[in-house]
Amino acid sequence: MQEFVYERPGTVAEAVAALRAGDARALAGGTDLVPQLREGRRTAGRVVDLKHVPELTAIAALPDGGVSIGAAATATAVARHAEIARRYPAIGLSAQLIGGVQVQNRASLGGNICNAAPSADGVPALICLGARAVVAGPEGRREMAVEEMFAGPGRTCLAAGELLVAIRLPAAEAGSAACYLRFTPRREMDIAVAGSGVWLRLGGDGAIADARVVLASVAPTPIRAPSAERKLVGGRPARALFEEAGRLAANDARPISDTRGSADYRRTLVAVLTARALADCCRQLEVEGADR
Amino acid sequence: MATDGAQAGAAAPLKVLGRRLARVDARERVTGEARYPADLALPGMVHARMLRSPHAHARIRRIDTTRAEALKGVLAVVTAADFPELPVGTMIPMGETGYDMWMVAELNMARRKVCWVGQPVAAVAAVDVHVAEAALALIEVDYDLLPAVLDIEAALADGAPVLHEHVLTKGVEPRPKTPSNLCSRTVIGRGDTQAALGQARAKARASVRIDTAHQGYLEPQVVVAEVDANGFATVWASTQGQFTAELMIASMLGLPASKLKVVPLEVGGGFGGKIAIHGEAVAVRLAQRCRRPVKIVLSRDEVLQGGSGPAAAAMIDIEVGAGEDGRLVAIDGTYRMDAGGLPGLSPSLVMQASAALYQCPNLNLVGYDVVTNKPRTEAYRGPGGIQAAFAMEQAMDMLCERLGMDPLEFRKRNASVTGSTMPIGTPFPSIGLTTILDRVAEHSCWRDPLVKGNFPRGRGLALGYWRGTSMTSAGHITIAGDGRPMVTMGPVDISGTRTTMAQVVAEEFGLALEDVHIHTGDSKSVGYSDGAAGSRVARTATAALVEASRDALSQLRKRAAEKLQCAADQLDYAGGAFRARQAGGAAISLKELMAATLTDGAVIGRGVSTKLPLGVEIGAHVCDVEVDTETGLVTVLRYTAFQDVGLALNPAAVEGQIEGSVVQGLGWALSEGFDYGPDGRLRNASLLDYRMPTALDVPKIECVIVETPVPNVPYGVRGVGEVPIVPPGAAVANAIARATGVRMTRMPMTPERVLAALQG
Amino acid sequence: MKTLIDCTVNGEERSVLADTRDTLLDLLRDRLGLTGTKEGCGNGNCGTCTVLMDGAPVNACLVLALEAPGRDIATIEGLAQGGELDPLQQALVEHNGTQCGFCTPGILISAKALLDENPRPTEAQIRHAIAGNLCRCTGYGKIVEAIAAAAAARGR
Repeated sequence: MQEFVYERPGTVAEAVAALRAGDARALAGGTDLVPQLREGRRTAGRVVDLKHVPELTAIAALPDGGVSIGAAATATAVARHAEIARRYPAIGLSAQLIGGVQVQNRASLGGNICNAAPSADGVPALICLGARAVVAGPEGRREMAVEEMFAGPGRTCLAAGELLVAIRLPAAEAGSAACYLRFTPRREMDIAVAGSGVWLRLGGDGAIADARVVLASVAPTPIRAPSAERKLVGGRPARALFEEAGRLAANDARPISDTRGSADYRRTLVAVLTARALADCCRQLEVEGADR
Repeated sequence: MATDGAQAGAAAPLKVLGRRLARVDARERVTGEARYPADLALPGMVHARMLRSPHAHARIRRIDTTRAEALKGVLAVVTAADFPELPVGTMIPMGETGYDMWMVAELNMARRKVCWVGQPVAAVAAVDVHVAEAALALIEVDYDLLPAVLDIEAALADGAPVLHEHVLTKGVEPRPKTPSNLCSRTVIGRGDTQAALGQARAKARASVRIDTAHQGYLEPQVVVAEVDANGFATVWASTQGQFTAELMIASMLGLPASKLKVVPLEVGGGFGGKIAIHGEAVAVRLAQRCRRPVKIVLSRDEVLQGGSGPAAAAMIDIEVGAGEDGRLVAIDGTYRMDAGGLPGLSPSLVMQASAALYQCPNLNLVGYDVVTNKPRTEAYRGPGGIQAAFAMEQAMDMLCERLGMDPLEFRKRNASVTGSTMPIGTPFPSIGLTTILDRVAEHSCWRDPLVKGNFPRGRGLALGYWRGTSMTSAGHITIAGDGRPMVTMGPVDISGTRTTMAQVVAEEFGLALEDVHIHTGDSKSVGYSDGAAGSRVARTATAALVEASRDALSQLRKRAAEKLQCAADQLDYAGGAFRARQAGGAAISLKELMAATLTDGAVIGRGVSTKLPLGVEIGAHVCDVEVDTETGLVTVLRYTAFQDVGLALNPAAVEGQIEGSVVQGLGWALSEGFDYGPDGRLRNASLLDYRMPTALDVPKIECVIVETPVPNVPYGVRGVGEVPIVPPGAAVANAIARATGVRMTRMPMTPERVLAALQG
Repeated sequence: MKTLIDCTVNGEERSVLADTRDTLLDLLRDRLGLTGTKEGCGNGNCGTCTVLMDGAPVNACLVLALEAPGRDIATIEGLAQGGELDPLQQALVEHNGTQCGFCTPGILISAKALLDENPRPTEAQIRHAIAGNLCRCTGYGKIVEAIAAAAAARGR
């Protein structure tokens, strides 16, 4: 492991300044970064510990009915936050999929995003719920959709010196529900072979007014499944529709084969998980369509 | 002549044995005080790392360590050139077959050629691990790449690249004159199998493949070595056998055994993987060179990626046939075992084990030991047993289906009994298989109907047999000044044997467990004992310590007779005191006796056990599963293990062995398998992707203990720890088949493989 | 490069010189000699290095030593109070919930965190709480029983 300089900024401005120096890496929970540095999979001349910047660990309800999650807030803090549990249960449940208890006590949603693993369990539900990323940089702050943050495996669209400050969830819409399901051979301590996050909003007529389907571990980045979404919108919740959406989502997936699963198996899982997640949304909304 | 010890009165009820007592070493475990080699820090200690082959098969043309040696903080660099070359066939004693030191030397430091990714080629000692790691990058190794063979079929194909020029297949007549990757062929047979199969009313065939798996001990290999001013070396190791390690280290270094001591510390799991040395001799050589203590700690990546010996992959074909009456007429089996980069064990034990539990007139079992460019495999708990049972017990289950017979009824009809002919032709010693099967029949795990679930559910039954071994164990007991026995045992404790052996001595002395002190000796403070392997320690150490107890007690009896002024044979011994037999006779406790006679000389009882009768292990497992037919995920709902243990020295410890062993088996059955890429690199070399079960992946394992004593073994003790890993693969597979109608032919039965099988 | 780290370990304030590349696990084991916490994998996949950091179980191998200042660290060495075993330790002893012992310190720390927060956990909650701690010897059954028994004993 190579030597590095460790910095512990107290404000976002200091953090941005520290990250501007070349070869710097942001440290939140460290559950990805520390082993990467130890095993030489990433290098850093400077490690910038974000956990002492209050804004980065805060979770706060927003006046517009949304919630802001500091990028370095732990998965445990997210999972236990009452407002998140009430307004966005899928976010809290996703946070509890990241590693075991020990990892959840360190890992953050911001780290889960910025490590940019295609398998990141914290991400699909955020995209489903239309989360936006607040980014601070040398030029000031900007906002972008979480969905647009990913450039490839292990790469985000953040420029050098930019820092993910917070994730903003818009107010939950009436008649909507979200669910993220992943498949792993073990019940815990595992990486998604495939994952599917879905979000539905039902119109007054009981039909699906809007839908999002976001897939994990089946492309270089988390991806939307547009054909599945198109199929869902306008339809009435029903098992056959959900299974069809699952098949379309499987078509939208662009998986590779690796030690965790073949491309074909991943597609199969996408179909199954998508249909199951849609059924789960119906259960949350207490409408038919849930039964298998 | 008077005899001492509990068995003097043969039917005397046991007072300490057979009880659920806490481990004698439990407190240091729960407080973090138990000492493993990684916990040692000696003054001036330096740290070593090993450079490992990145290639699966290559000739080493040249190794240049100049730049590494020049790095500031580097204290010593060694390669194979720093060790004497041991020719093939340099044997050291180890059990019935011995151990070829050429292989041990190769797996510790490759010479001329590498045969798997991760094989060591050099080692560096430096002031800290960071410097040592930096130095590894400065060692230049010039490799001549060779084509690699990564599985059994490729290794046996015509024109396959040959790993070892000296390997001429054994067991084939005439012996081949050209080398190949087939190390040996073994045949066990009787009768006319082909004819019997031709006439059988029903036949079934299972052709299966099993992937390499790892023992998965949580403590990576660690060694600390120190050499004193006289050249005497001390090695603190996580080893299953301090004497075997000593023989190996001495041989690899050309060091007299009298110049070397191996101290076994706590073993953080071994399961067969810590019999051979992995770096111990290298650490001593580095310590000799830099004149400072040297520590080597393997990383988890090294443990998995070629730095230790996993279990053998296998391809096994079994065909079985039965007559109208449901009686077996023939078993035909072909066992191809993938030994990895160096020749492995003869498959003989595995072949015998898989067929032993059935009375069958016609047997034709053929086994092959094959080398491939993967890590040299080593023992893993009943080595080969789970692989063979995965084939055999599925074949038997399929035969039941063909016959329309209940699988338990089928086993009862064909079960081996005491006196049945074993596959090797000798009669079975006392066994309790039929008792086990009767217990299965009456148990709720077999009688209760399956509860309906969201997905198909099924119940599987599978049997397991393991022969185990005996070899030799020694121990001695010194009587302390307060009369308490201080026990030094030879075999290393990897399964709670300090506790059970302290119970044995307490029983023999009529004392409480707390009155006995016990520890494992290092290789210079106790008599030669073979390693802790082959389910042999509890049985053979019991024999040795019963002998040692009785030896000590007979010495004490003489002293007591003098003190009480009566004939030795007129004394009764019980509860830690000798008492003159006549009415109102005087008594003297061991404490009083030792206080009075301490300066008369030490009382040391000695005991040795060799060639003790085997304590064969037999189990039957019942498993309920649910199969998610959309994802292939198999959930084990209930699991019950029935086992004959002879006598449960400590039922809690016995259950602990069974439960842990079963869960290892379930891991291999469902999620543990090495995944090699085409370059021979392991793609899942982490505990994230090499998926050992977590607490959420397995149910509570229920144990049903049966006790059929082994004749001519003190207390009738059998082996315990190995056989429970044998049936789980087959039990799960049979349950999957009963749930879905689909047969699994590959282990582990990962969700993807199960789904593929379901989709045909 | 060495740096001075001030932190609280098992209630004691400690100042220790550490390499900047040390993990919290290295700090505890190699600098403070608290070797009860074990290293099984070095990348957060086995749980043998579990310690409490400000009361929450974390993998010490995933924490930099440099992150320790100002933190309150609790290790297995601090679990027994004044020579008296914690009820969890006592239960593990009595239920034979430790075999090779290598996972035991981590399991105890995870279980301690569980019971501190949820004094009467269900079996499923116990299994969830220790899912990040691999055990290769026991098959988990006796560990789960021991934790349940310790919870029951605490409740009395």
